[in-house]
Amino acid sequence: MISVKKVNNKPLNLLERIYLWEIARGLLVTTGHFFTNLFNPAGILTVPYPEKTIPLPGNAKFRTRHRLKLRSDGSPKCVACFLCQTACPAYCIHIEAAEYTENSVEKYPAVFDIDLSRCVVCGMCVEACPEDAIAMDTEELPGGALGRGELLLNKESLLRNLPGEPSLLGASNRLAGEYLKSRGER
Amino acid sequence: MPTITIDGKSLEVAKGTTLLEAAQQLGVYIPRYCYHPKLSIAGNCRMCLVEVEKAPKLMTACSTEAFEGMVVHTASDRVKAARRDVLEYLLINHPLDCPICDQAGECGLQDYYMDYSLAKSRFSQADKVRRQKRRAVGPQLVLDNERCILCTRCVRFCSEVTKTSELCVVERGDHSFIDLKEGKALDNDYTLNIADICPVGAFTSRDFRFKQRVWFLKKTPTVCLGCATGCLIEAHHNENTIYRLVPRPNAETNTWLCDPGRLTYKAVQAGDRLVKGVIKNGLIDLEPALREAAARIDEARAAVAVLGSPWLSVEDNAALALLAKDALKTGNYCFDFNTEQGIKDGILINKDPAPNTNGVKLVKAAHGGLSLEELSRRITSGQVKVVLAEARAAGFIKDALKAAAPRLIAFASNRGEIPAGSYATLPYASYFEVPGTFLNYQGLRRRTAPSVEAPEGVKPLWAVINKLAAYSGTSLRLDSADEALKGVRS
Amino acid sequence: MMEFFEANKDILLFAGAAGAKLAVFLGAVMGFTALMTLAERKVSALMQDRIGPNRASVFGFAFNGLFQPVADAIKMILKEDFLPGRAEKLLFTLAPFFALVPVLALFALIPFGDYVMVYGYQVELQVADLPLGLFFVLALSGLAIYGVFLGGWASKNNFALLGALRGAAQMVSYEVVLGLTLVGLMMIYGSASLQDMVRAQGGLLFGFLPAWGVVYQPFAFILFLVASTAENKRTPFDLVEGESEIIGYFLEYSSMRFAAFMFAEFIEIVLISMLIATLFFGGWQVPYLYETGFLFPGGAELPLNHYLVSAMQVGSFAVKTIFFCWFSLVVRWTLPRFRFDQMMNLCWKALLPLALLNILATGAALLYLGKL
Repeated sequence: MISVKKVNNKPLNLLERIYLWEIARGLLVTTGHFFTNLFNPAGILTVPYPEKTIPLPGNAKFRTRHRLKLRSDGSPKCVACFLCQTACPAYCIHIEAAEYTENSVEKYPAVFDIDLSRCVVCGMCVEACPEDAIAMDTEELPGGALGRGELLLNKESLLRNLPGEPSLLGASNRLAGEYLKSRGER
Repeated sequence: MPTITIDGKSLEVAKGTTLLEAAQQLGVYIPRYCYHPKLSIAGNCRMCLVEVEKAPKLMTACSTEAFEGMVVHTASDRVKAARRDVLEYLLINHPLDCPICDQAGECGLQDYYMDYSLAKSRFSQADKVRRQKRRAVGPQLVLDNERCILCTRCVRFCSEVTKTSELCVVERGDHSFIDLKEGKALDNDYTLNIADICPVGAFTSRDFRFKQRVWFLKKTPTVCLGCATGCLIEAHHNENTIYRLVPRPNAETNTWLCDPGRLTYKAVQAGDRLVKGVIKNGLIDLEPALREAAARIDEARAAVAVLGSPWLSVEDNAALALLAKDALKTGNYCFDFNTEQGIKDGILINKDPAPNTNGVKLVKAAHGGLSLEELSRRITSGQVKVVLAEARAAGFIKDALKAAAPRLIAFASNRGEIPAGSYATLPYASYFEVPGTFLNYQGLRRRTAPSVEAPEGVKPLWAVINKLAAYSGTSLRLDSADEALKGVRS
Repeated sequence: MMEFFEANKDILLFAGAAGAKLAVFLGAVMGFTALMTLAERKVSALMQDRIGPNRASVFGFAFNGLFQPVADAIKMILKEDFLPGRAEKLLFTLAPFFALVPVLALFALIPFGDYVMVYGYQVELQVADLPLGLFFVLALSGLAIYGVFLGGWASKNNFALLGALRGAAQMVSYEVVLGLTLVGLMMIYGSASLQDMVRAQGGLLFGFLPAWGVVYQPFAFILFLVASTAENKRTPFDLVEGESEIIGYFLEYSSMRFAAFMFAEFIEIVLISMLIATLFFGGWQVPYLYETGFLFPGGAELPLNHYLVSAMQVGSFAVKTIFFCWFSLVVRWTLPRFRFDQMMNLCWKALLPLALLNILATGAALLYLGKL
């Protein structure tokens, strides 16, 4: 059964049916925008991404670019369990596991790549992670790059946090650097 | 012949049948850890508890024999509660290792927890008993005692199957753990079976360790070509890489699989895998290598000797025979191999290291040919200018080749196989990549199934032979492996 | 040698002047059209609070997108020149020329200034002053239909053919209105030569109002504006191509063949803007500017050099043209597309009767004023 909804459109009056006045009104709006923007280009809302970005509003709980968290000793929390790779609907995560020789946790990711050009920013990897090792809280929107290479995040770029981050993350940033250096992977 | 009732269904079973086996015949699955059909019954995991009417306590299904008139319930509330409690008991001290544990995905604890428990833990993680983790026991295995649930399958395997008794349970009660017996190392030829039968992640394979999560693996049933036993196996692979081989238990040949057999897959993806032709010691592209070899064959024609190989499938041997008989019209070909066969160690490993000695006999029956001694004699006498042989089979005529030094054109899939002094070597696809028929020592027909793809350009051997024939002047017109089988009784 | 020059001085001068005018004028028009492709995107961007193309750069200098036409041209040239297998190859190749050549030829008729004295010779600032220029304009613009229809038909593509049918129907219909709206003007000015019409618009009405066509024929101006937009197949009458959904006659065209169609459309914008300026807004006339200088209605005078006057006149024409080009862009990015039946109704049931009424009213007025 198709439900029918009657819409009573207001019949057009003569001025509207002649259409010219309505066209003129429309032109007024668009020329208004045209001249406003012509003489005040700074007021244009469009941002030339990716050179320029706008800060995300407020205490944003957006899913943004991934990062790998670190333990207090500076080693990555990730144990290469492959659950994020399994959960990923876009097949954008590539992990290769390796073994620590002396650490109490045996397994770590030797390779951890995220292909942002494939990523659909669904956050499934974060949900799946049993170690709370991957997070999407860098507040950096993934996807804007001038080349495909820039969209491939490897372990290093995932471990190193962003400049201008809060001090706690800055500390882990430093630890990540030292850790990578100590492993000669930098 | 007692008749019993399990979950309302009656069944007559042979005397001595346990409740667990009887339930299995009815299609009722009873969870178990310590029970294994090929090992003695231990009855220590308590997972298989079932309710038997008129019995005051729950009985272990694996160790209770069926008696006339028994009425068994496998899904009553008491049984369910017992399973939940047993699982909780087993999990009290089990570490939260799943993310780093190779068993995850095929783990008895995970599976049964999801099927029979789903209870929240009542114990703090900090209180868990710590034991030695990651102890390399033997060349193939890693032992993690924290994960062990003491089902003793491994202990029984070592004492009953291999009869080497390397493992034992030491200490008592809740202090007990699996350990090597003093002065022993876990280095028999069947240790990797322990990783298979271990229901949890206590024993894991050093070879497979951390390579791949098991839920990514695709499974292809195929045949082990490590020796003439011809065990049925399953190749586990993902994205064109084989990660491990596990046995496919069957009544005829094998329940287990030996360690050397399990590692045969390594040659397929080894670094020395041949993807190009070799002329003397230099790699060249496949086409020019084929043409060069064909030119040498064409020069010699009737002075070419063709040697079959028990390492090749029946089809490929038949194609070699066709090359000798139909294309080159030479009488110098030999499909005569009579290696002694039989189980060497009483378990699986055969005296004959080649998988297809029996299969080659079919080819000999169809196409005839010289005996190995006659061929060696002709080579030594210098009648033969060019010898075509599979790399490993060339070992049979090693002395003759050394003495007369004819041009040897070898077929090999890995560089390491190339016999010394070979003039040209042509690559062919491994039997993990193409199908092939083999006859094991029992005369059973075994067919391999391709689980991965051959490297680009590498063809099955029959196709290589077909090209070789065409390039040397006489086309065999083989379009498939089966066409080579013309006249061969299969 | 000198004798030859002396003997054929007039012809040589005429040829030289015509060549120079052609080169300068056509060069200016083509350059301007190239900029129009950029302007279209920039104007639409500004109207929609966007920035528009600003990435194409040479050695890092983007000049806010000034090189975009160059980049577009390079891209167009490098695209595969695709010829559908079942197409009529000759006509398929000819169609873009049919679209391009008539509009280019029409520029010859546009007077872009009065005249300049060069070394004592009077050089008319118009390539060809035909006595029946206006008819020639209408005749040539009628030819542009061939480009559309042959392009669609020769593609041997059903959608292209449907697009071509729509296009032909639309252009033929609006051709009628276009011609009829101009009849009033010819009646008033008594000439069909464009230069004559512009010169006639130099006078004053009531002593202060420039006697521009739009003052005499405001109604015809609006009709002409609508009809010419339709003739040019631009939004809101772009259902010939309907870029985003219904596609049009150039469906099978790619590379420079497609560019020819697109370029023809942009040249037509310029041409129509020039025609509107010429016919209704006094062409190169600047209000109160005469050959000797300004002469304001109050009696004030500002004598000016001849060359300055000429420059101002050409500049005035350019400004008017640019304004109408811009107006065309603004209209395009403001109005939604008509439906086909609405467009046809508008033509045959509204514009055509109105154009006829306009002729009737003009004739009546002229009769009443005794000028007929």
